[in-house]
Amino acid sequence: MNEKEWTLDLQAYVDGELEPSRRADVERVLAGDAEARELVAALRSLGDLVRAHEPVARVPETREFYWSQIQRRIDQEALRDARRADGATRAAGWLRWLVPALGVAAVVVVVSLNRRGSTPVVEVASASLDDAVGMTFRSDTDGVTVHWLR
Amino acid sequence: MAGSLKPDVAAETDEALVSLAKGGSTDAFEELVHRHRDKIYARAMIMMRNEVDAMDLSQEAWVKAWQRIHQFQGESSFATWATRIVINLCLDQIRRQKRTRAESIEQMEEETGGVERHMPVVEANPTEGLETEDVRKRIDEALGKLSEAHRTVIVLHEFEGLEYKEVAKRVGISIGTVMSRLFYARRRLASLLQNLRRERSE
Repeated sequence: MNEKEWTLDLQAYVDGELEPSRRADVERVLAGDAEARELVAALRSLGDLVRAHEPVARVPETREFYWSQIQRRIDQEALRDARRADGATRAAGWLRWLVPALGVAAVVVVVSLNRRGSTPVVEVASASLDDAVGMTFRSDTDGVTVHWLR
Repeated sequence: MAGSLKPDVAAETDEALVSLAKGGSTDAFEELVHRHRDKIYARAMIMMRNEVDAMDLSQEAWVKAWQRIHQFQGESSFATWATRIVINLCLDQIRRQKRTRAESIEQMEEETGGVERHMPVVEANPTEGLETEDVRKRIDEALGKLSEAHRTVIVLHEFEGLEYKEVAKRVGISIGTVMSRLFYARRRLASLLQNLRRERSE
């Protein structure tokens, strides 16, 4: 353990932040280290002094004025929250209609695109008769069937 | 609330006032503000070191306290709970302002090691003419001379009584850095207080 770690351990000892086993180690070393004991004493006296003399300050406003400023902020925040909630309610109302409408629109678009982009299913069947050849064209999408006979 | 039904809030305990405030009584809450406003303001003053920020953040803390009063379950005193709110607001403000300008030398010293064990022993002996208010003022002045980072750990550890791990969590640094900052802050504080005392005796 280097000097810095040992010093910070002493501080942790003073602050009651060391585990019991480590605490016992520090106490053993302290017994034979006057310099360490001095540091512990200095840390303790400073802590006691600071905690016993916590700086104080008084609000430089009257009770009424100070509260009126807080109340105004509270009211402003409440108003903002109410507006936010109102906005959210309106948005929810719109969404109630918008979502189904968008759903319907989406279905229409998909169907339309399918119809436009679909390639007709072409079935070509030919039959060789004795003296004739037949050909059939069928589109399931358009529901059309055409037969040629030659 | 009808005027005739308004409770005599000044006679109530903090716990009773909190209960009333949870029920929507702004009178009860105003009484709580009145009782603890100096403590909250003082904490903001120690942290921010200027009246404008301290006033603004202390009022903001009271607004937050009103909004979150239902979250207060009485694990600590109301004053402690409200103080934690203002501390958090101060920490947020400090982070936003990123006031790291004057801290570079001390931070460098922390990072490069070199912890000296020597620290002057500082004691307040009333027989030497140091009145309580005098010592309080000197400590405040000394705190004002610390860097923001060092002052913050002192406030959180010494005044708020937070453990290292809690300080680390709130400030967003490692426990090792908390220990290091705390040590440098204490050493500087001891040195400043010793000088102040010496000046007085001269």
